[in-house]
Amino acid sequence: MFAATRVLRQAAAHAERVPSIKFIGRRTIPTSVDHTPKPHPASPTHSLPANWGSSPSFSAYRQHAQQHGPLRKTIRPDVDGIGGSPGAALGSVNPPQGLYFDRNDLPARFRRQPLTEAEIEAIESGCGFA
Amino acid sequence: MLSQRLIGRAAVRSAFKPSGLPVVVSPRLRRTYATESEEKDLVIIGGGVAGYVAAIKAGQEGLKVACIEKRGTLGGTCLNVGCIPSKSLLNNSHLYHQILHDSKHRGIEVGDVKLNLAQLMKAKEQSVSGLTKGVEFLLKKNGVEYIKGAGAFADEHTINVKLNDGGETSVKGKNILIATGSEVTPFPGLEIDEKRVISSTGAIALEKVPEKMLVIGGGIIGLEMASVWSRLGAQVTVIEFLDQIGGPGMDLEVAKSIQKILKKQGINFKTGTKVVSGDKTGETVKLEVDSAKGGKPETLEGDVVLVAIGRRPYTEGLGLENIGLEKDERGRVIIDSEYRTKIPHIRCVGDVTFGPMLAHKAEEEAVAVVEYIKKGYGHVNYGCIPSVMYTFPEVAWVGQSEQELKKAGVPYRVGTFPFSANSRAKTNLDTEGMVKMIADPETDRILGVHIIGPNAGEMIAEGTLALEYGASSEDIARTCHAHPTLAEAFKEAAMATHSKAIHF
Repeated sequence: MFAATRVLRQAAAHAERVPSIKFIGRRTIPTSVDHTPKPHPASPTHSLPANWGSSPSFSAYRQHAQQHGPLRKTIRPDVDGIGGSPGAALGSVNPPQGLYFDRNDLPARFRRQPLTEAEIEAIESGCGFA
Repeated sequence: MLSQRLIGRAAVRSAFKPSGLPVVVSPRLRRTYATESEEKDLVIIGGGVAGYVAAIKAGQEGLKVACIEKRGTLGGTCLNVGCIPSKSLLNNSHLYHQILHDSKHRGIEVGDVKLNLAQLMKAKEQSVSGLTKGVEFLLKKNGVEYIKGAGAFADEHTINVKLNDGGETSVKGKNILIATGSEVTPFPGLEIDEKRVISSTGAIALEKVPEKMLVIGGGIIGLEMASVWSRLGAQVTVIEFLDQIGGPGMDLEVAKSIQKILKKQGINFKTGTKVVSGDKTGETVKLEVDSAKGGKPETLEGDVVLVAIGRRPYTEGLGLENIGLEKDERGRVIIDSEYRTKIPHIRCVGDVTFGPMLAHKAEEEAVAVVEYIKKGYGHVNYGCIPSVMYTFPEVAWVGQSEQELKKAGVPYRVGTFPFSANSRAKTNLDTEGMVKMIADPETDRILGVHIIGPNAGEMIAEGTLALEYGASSEDIARTCHAHPTLAEAFKEAAMATHSKAIHF
């Protein structure tokens, strides 16, 4: 009796029509998108002009420029070398326990700047001037 | 000396700390490491459907946006002088015509019915002003800076704006979007004065119903305006160069059918006819016409001539030459698949570039282009953009027509269902038209849907969704549709394509 019901259920399941429209889950942006210029789908010529991308503009230059790798290249964790991993993945920038960075070891532009006479004057006067 | 002075500085700091008062720094002492940038993330030239939708979307995505529009109101051609005002006139002229000619047999007897054209126009203006103000509110709500003026490229990142209120300003953008739309294509030798020789802009603002109206161009705009003025009492003749009306994309069977229906409503057609020249020096405007092949010259006269031969991209005064951007032979800005011009941070969408000149296509592109800027990924399916002609009955289609498939050598199967067999259409006494579905004979995938009928413009959304999702006609046929509805005709057409309709 039960076996017969099970067989009927299985038969019904097999007979069920599968629509062409299927839910494929929440849509996501593809992880790798090729941004190489391609003709617009509605372009009547289905091609890009011969001089496309050869614009003398700085923006166009940036598309192709290299500086430790392509400027606009997405950081990919599977690629070694400079730009191969995001800054956050490089660990803490703080010195190890017991060690201290000396400000004077830094390049000159990061060192303490000497106060100007005007600043000293301003501080001593309690900022009491216009 | 220095150490004493440093102690003094610390004392100054600590003296200020507990007070909790705001610290006011003298300008002389402000240390500025970087100047505050006025540069926007996105500057949009044009506040039409493409421009304002992109502005709202970009605002929602957290970009700093400026939208430049010179018209004085947002919404572009569509809201101000196109889709929206024409729909107001189409709807109200249909009501007028129906009350006048189609009420008695429905059991409604009315007395003296009069047309108040000024009030008809006022109703139209109210819809327009309500919607344009609504768009302005949405820009404000989404933090978009709305600049009223005419924008022109000064360089690749700077737009100079001649303000409508006088004066000039400039705005810089990391990204710039050209969304300047389109304008009416003029007819050579017949100057548009918007009084006797009119464009679609003049056709929605006539001060009196013309006795005789000639329409050059039997496309969607021409036929909609022909319908309005014919319903209001004008004797209308449509002159079309091609052998079919409706413009590109309309299925030939549908085009023939709607021509018959409109002819029955009183519109005259001269298809396969070219306009050779025009003369508006006399009391009436005269058009010299001839058969498209030649040999049948004729003179037509009208109080008003509507030029509706199409639209062309609008880039006047935009300064494209200042940045070396090129247009194609039809004046369209050339772009790639991500809407980039050859200067990649300058993108372009809407009527001013490739694709059909439709507001909803521009809207789709506007969202996609902002997504490309912000997320690097966007989506517009150019094979799935619906078209609607708001005559009565309406005509709507999406996907491919029979003649396009024939030309491409693609096999297909057709299923149709007439509204005369649909219960709701019967009860409404609006039974003209049909639903025609075209599917792949092997996979049953829908290739195109073509509808003539009441509310076809609403019904085409179901076909568009089906086409976008790659549905089969069986998917639609097996989907339950409420009874009694016009939409059942859609289901029955799918049944006819897949196997057989029940009610026909």
